[in-house]
Amino acid sequence: MKVRVNEVEHHVAADWRDETLLTVLREHLGLAGTKFSCGIGQCGACVVHVDGSAINSCLISIADVENKNILTIEGLASGDGSLHPLQQAWIDENVPQCGFCQSGQIMQALALVGDKPDPTDADIDSVMSGNLCRCGTYDRIRKSIKKAALVMRSTS
Amino acid sequence: MVSISRRNFLIATGWVAAGVTGVYALSKHAVAVAPTIIFPDETSGAAWVQIRPGGVCHMFFPRVDMGQNANTGLAQIVAEELNIDVEDIQGVQPSTSDVPPLAVTAGSMSMTAFSRPLAIAAATLREGLRDRAAVKLGEPVAAVLDDVGGFQTSDRRKVSYADLVDDTVLVIERESDQAVPALYAFDSGRQKTQVGHPKSPLGIRDLVTGGRVYTADVPMTGVLYGRAVQPPVRSAQIASLDTSGVAEVRGVVTLVEEGDFVGVVCTTPSAVDKAIAQIQVTWDLQQPITEEEISRLIDVDGKMAAGDLEHILQDKAHRRNADWSVDLRFDVQVQTHAAQEPRAAIARFNDAGADHRLEIWTGTQDPFGMQRFASMDTGLSESDVVIYPQRLGGGFGGREHYEVERDAVRLARAVGRPVKVQWTRADEFMASRSRPASAHRIRIASDDQGNLTDWWYGYVTGHVVFARERLPGWLLPVARLSDDSGVVKGAIAPYQAPHQRVECEDVDLPIDLGVWRSLNGASAIFAIESAMDELAVLQGKEPVAFKIAQMQGEQPRLAHCLATVRKLSAKRRLPEAAGYGRGFACGIYDGRCFVAVSADVFVDEVNQQINVLHLCCAQDVGMAVNPDQLRAQIESNLVWSIGMALLERFEVADNTIQSSNFDNYTIPRMRNMPTLDIDIIDQPNLPPTGAGEVALVAGPPAIANAIRDASGFRALSLPIRFADI
Repeated sequence: MKVRVNEVEHHVAADWRDETLLTVLREHLGLAGTKFSCGIGQCGACVVHVDGSAINSCLISIADVENKNILTIEGLASGDGSLHPLQQAWIDENVPQCGFCQSGQIMQALALVGDKPDPTDADIDSVMSGNLCRCGTYDRIRKSIKKAALVMRSTS
Repeated sequence: MVSISRRNFLIATGWVAAGVTGVYALSKHAVAVAPTIIFPDETSGAAWVQIRPGGVCHMFFPRVDMGQNANTGLAQIVAEELNIDVEDIQGVQPSTSDVPPLAVTAGSMSMTAFSRPLAIAAATLREGLRDRAAVKLGEPVAAVLDDVGGFQTSDRRKVSYADLVDDTVLVIERESDQAVPALYAFDSGRQKTQVGHPKSPLGIRDLVTGGRVYTADVPMTGVLYGRAVQPPVRSAQIASLDTSGVAEVRGVVTLVEEGDFVGVVCTTPSAVDKAIAQIQVTWDLQQPITEEEISRLIDVDGKMAAGDLEHILQDKAHRRNADWSVDLRFDVQVQTHAAQEPRAAIARFNDAGADHRLEIWTGTQDPFGMQRFASMDTGLSESDVVIYPQRLGGGFGGREHYEVERDAVRLARAVGRPVKVQWTRADEFMASRSRPASAHRIRIASDDQGNLTDWWYGYVTGHVVFARERLPGWLLPVARLSDDSGVVKGAIAPYQAPHQRVECEDVDLPIDLGVWRSLNGASAIFAIESAMDELAVLQGKEPVAFKIAQMQGEQPRLAHCLATVRKLSAKRRLPEAAGYGRGFACGIYDGRCFVAVSADVFVDEVNQQINVLHLCCAQDVGMAVNPDQLRAQIESNLVWSIGMALLERFEVADNTIQSSNFDNYTIPRMRNMPTLDIDIIDQPNLPPTGAGEVALVAGPPAIANAIRDASGFRALSLPIRFADI
């Protein structure tokens, strides 16, 4: 079985074909940026993109993403190391506290700004309320999304 | 005093293999059983700052990072002393073999306890290097002036730290009887480049690019996956056990049964899930785990009617029978940490002859506690056990115990290979040591002018620091003779009255209890601030002016916070329409941290919900080392306040824990967010006070008082649900 993650094709060993996408990413492919937190799609820590759509990777079997294009937090920055506008805004606003949820937050925000290039507060409430942050960094996440969206609009 | 043996210790660890190290009086106190409570002070402590060949500054981070980013603030202090930029400091999270025991990271103590010792260490290093520079420049020491990353003379001859440090080992020590060098970080008249500036947390790039910084991210060759069954309470014993289905699961390596411990080791994570699902276990309990049992145990009115409570915290001309203006009982629910990272640990046993027989990777608030407990658990000597502390995906007081580490150690020992244990979210709830439920009776009497005459506050809660299974069983009865420092947090009100009594009692509840953000502070201050607000309402007085008056000038820093937050709140107009309300509350955390919060709420009759619209906070932080990170901690506390006031309730029933995930334990989400307005009151002449769990004491009562203002409903129990109104 093969999966394409961050534009690199990976072979999934036979022993790992009963696993979730999340477990394969973390434990088999060594891409540990995507996090396990609730395991039931309630918190968004494990959000990745599959063929351009944000999904909870804890809920989907690896078998269901065979030959699909997966994007994880590790694939968001450019090859030259320059950060995506969302990542840069996250740093500029000093969003992370413990940081554990932030990969999922950024990947969910990527879906939001892809869909709504100029997101309103209501858009942010609606799309980001599936991503929990126990440290309570929501105010900064909101600011960062708006900031990054502005950068992305002005450069596109 | 720094003894030669301490210096040898440092050299033996390799920490001072080359370069110059500034050392500030290392301590070697007797180590407490749990948690580790060694803090540095003026004459003892531990702080390491080193200039390495090439001039790079290394420092061992004395705290574990769990989101408070205290190490960044401490690095700013070091950078200030050394005239470098905080970004140029290379921080190292030390293992337990790198440094002597350091205190558990808890209690909002990091800045208060560590800032000055670290400043002294760095300044001692700077002055030692200045002596070297004087020799190199052929000038008297007084003519060697500071420069960025080194020194210079008045005629601009420069020497950098790199020029002064070579491969020889030199430890610069300050004896305790020597004068403290000039501390730039604490010099309020000085123009600073690091302290007081909003620096980004060190290592932030890793957190937004998917870097490996948490325990479960650590790569490990040949690792297996394991997990143990968590009992509903640690005192539970296995009544019946059926593991017959485990052998059928593909990928199971072994089943481990040791007394009340039962766990599995497998080749993949999903095999662990399947194998654990095949284990059927029932438990014998010492107490029924039900809401009714908890309510019965904390019945404050029954206990106060029967006589004095166990601990008298304040007693001044107490009168049992006054003409009470306010006589209210407040109940606070059980709450839990629900950190975003479910706990994980990796354990690896090595053959004799290795540096360490047992290595443990874990995100813990108390690495040295883990080392001691792993030593006791395995029979290995402490020096045979090493803990590699990882970043915590949230701590909040919940990660001080040898638990997930124990699971990993026992399973790794059974299979002779490294084992990673990743708790599920359900495990995390089942094994949580929650903030106890508590019941509070507050009686206040006042004179004709409305001034307080009598204050009688009694409360009953579960144990906190001295909770069962936090200390060894033999130690508990002894420890409990004294006040539990967690239970008494927040109990003494800032208000003055000629007759005052505060008393409390702490009891065993049927669930595991422990340290939660602010300990008892948020519970007690919810009760105190609600009662005082009610008295102001009954007297028709403006609550802020009333509270400040009742402090009688005894709490100027708190009064200033309260006056400041009233001004902040006034920047935003509260709608005149029905259902809108504004409330205020203030509090002192741990006798040293001062905060006031205002809340604007809308009690929405149409949608049957309570919305927090706007929160303001004024917090006196002492010296603001990193204003932006202080603000971040305040934001975090305000969000937690919404959870505590309106959302979170740890459910128990039918002799087990019912809360198992975020679908049945509700924490704040983006849609719950109000707007925030925060004013940090910087006191450059006063030591930093800490911020990790401060504003949470004032947030919930501010919300409750706003609901009173909006609807006339006085919340007597938390969380407040719309249906209560």
